[in-house]
Amino acid sequence: MSSQPAAAVVTGGTAPRAAVEVRGLSKSYGDRPVLRGVDFEVRQGEVFCLLGPNGAGKTTTVEILEGFRARTGGTVTVLGLDPAAQPARLRERIGIVLQECGFPRQARVGELIDIWRGYYPHPRPLGDLLAVTGLTADRNTPVRKLSGGQRRRLDFALALAGDPDLVFLDEPTTGFDPEARRRLWTAVENLRGLGKTIVLTTHYLDEAERLADRVAILLDGRIKIAGSTREVARLAALPSRVSFGVPETLRNGEIPAPDGVDLVVRGQTATCHTRNTAVTLRRLLDWAARYHVGDLDDLAVDTPSLEDAYLHHTLRSAGDPGL
Amino acid sequence: MKAVRLTVRQAVMEQRNFWRSPEYALFTFALPLFLLLLLGAANGGSYLPGHIRQIKVLVPSILAFGVIAAAYVNLGAKMAVLRHDGVLKRIRTTPLPAGAYIVGHIASTVATTLAIAACMGVAGWLAFGTVPRLGGMFVLASGLALGIVCFAALGLAVSSLIKSAESASPITNASYLPIAMISGIFDPTIGIPRWLSGAAGVLPIKALADVLEDAYTPAAHAFPAVDLSILLAWAVAGAALATWRFRRQTA
Repeated sequence: MSSQPAAAVVTGGTAPRAAVEVRGLSKSYGDRPVLRGVDFEVRQGEVFCLLGPNGAGKTTTVEILEGFRARTGGTVTVLGLDPAAQPARLRERIGIVLQECGFPRQARVGELIDIWRGYYPHPRPLGDLLAVTGLTADRNTPVRKLSGGQRRRLDFALALAGDPDLVFLDEPTTGFDPEARRRLWTAVENLRGLGKTIVLTTHYLDEAERLADRVAILLDGRIKIAGSTREVARLAALPSRVSFGVPETLRNGEIPAPDGVDLVVRGQTATCHTRNTAVTLRRLLDWAARYHVGDLDDLAVDTPSLEDAYLHHTLRSAGDPGL
Repeated sequence: MKAVRLTVRQAVMEQRNFWRSPEYALFTFALPLFLLLLLGAANGGSYLPGHIRQIKVLVPSILAFGVIAAAYVNLGAKMAVLRHDGVLKRIRTTPLPAGAYIVGHIASTVATTLAIAACMGVAGWLAFGTVPRLGGMFVLASGLALGIVCFAALGLAVSSLIKSAESASPITNASYLPIAMISGIFDPTIGIPRWLSGAAGVLPIKALADVLEDAYTPAAHAFPAVDLSILLAWAVAGAALATWRFRRQTA
């Protein structure tokens, strides 16, 4: 990912490799600091997810990137432009899917998309937009007759009308049923397939884990941790969990417990936590071979998920000793 | 040049949307026409002090009402609904300059209002034989032009003060109907206290009605400079308030 062929996409000599670069970004509302030195970058063609609890500054950060909000300090570059200085030029090249945004009540799907295409210098063809968002059959449908899922797809179609290089998605599946979420995830994956860079904010960690190439967790106005979903999970240094069905002979005390493994037996299951899965597994399998308990039934390794890492960071910062 | 093209496209789309929503089109067109025919048939034959047939005042008064319904009520309610539906927010995510979007709406409103004015002029002529005098054409044109600008600006201003989509129509209607009544729009002979008519005299509804009446009365008058100045002053005030509110809400 780090040595991607981004240079092939770069058109001018001035365009940077990163789609978004944020350095030392700060923002205060009056005396109240919301962002206290945020640093991150979004690479071209990746799905980047900004995570964090409510009030952490996610929306403020994204609005600064979109050119809707002025920053107090730091540097921000989006597609090589300063969003505060050139919001109009930037908006020709980005697409924004906001939460809960309406449509003109009397408009029809096709003509609304067409009007939107007129706002941009290099629009995508109408038929293409309808096809990508699955609205071809609804071209002449009045927008007020669309279902919730169709409206969301129209949101996408309008955000893509200008054939943007960078798409912002603000909590795109809030309030969705599981099926609608899955369909939207597919849409996001299709966007990535088109080579778009995507900046996503979400409350759902499974969504971030499923969609994002890299995530950053924003806490108290700073980036607490950033990296690929696996890196973030690993950097939290949470142990993996190894479990297997307890052999009869161990339960009856006929054989000793394995050495060097902190095994907890609860009911039918033996569990241990480890920061070195390979060593633990080798010890368990050696032990199983020596005492002839065969293959360990139901042997499973659960590596820490993004959700575990997220909760670890957010709860710790909230002063909760729970994890 | 591109901004002009975008503005025209927006205006065309708004026109199409206007005619697609029967409630707007019906209310804006049918109500003034109906009132004109009803009030004209009921009272048009009687005479006002100064030996003027009342229909000569009713036609321009209801014409003023039509202008206000189309420019102020329609544009004001529509903008309020667009804001509360989040359409204005969505427009801000595009490179379209906010000015081109709003001017597109204003252009569409001007087209609608001129169409209504023409309809009512023709209805007044066909039903009651009432036409503006030839020498009053310039006054008529100035009154319509300033009236449309003034009430469109006030409509935009009031739209920025409306708190919900549901209250858009009630507020725009309730904010001018009482003033229209004390201004004598529906009944030129209405008896109201002197202080109230004095207040109505500096408001734009009476001013617009007076300018249009001037164009319809048979005898030539002095140019209605005071009334036109009142319209201009309200246009400037409305535009200033609307600009300030729109800037603040999009900051």
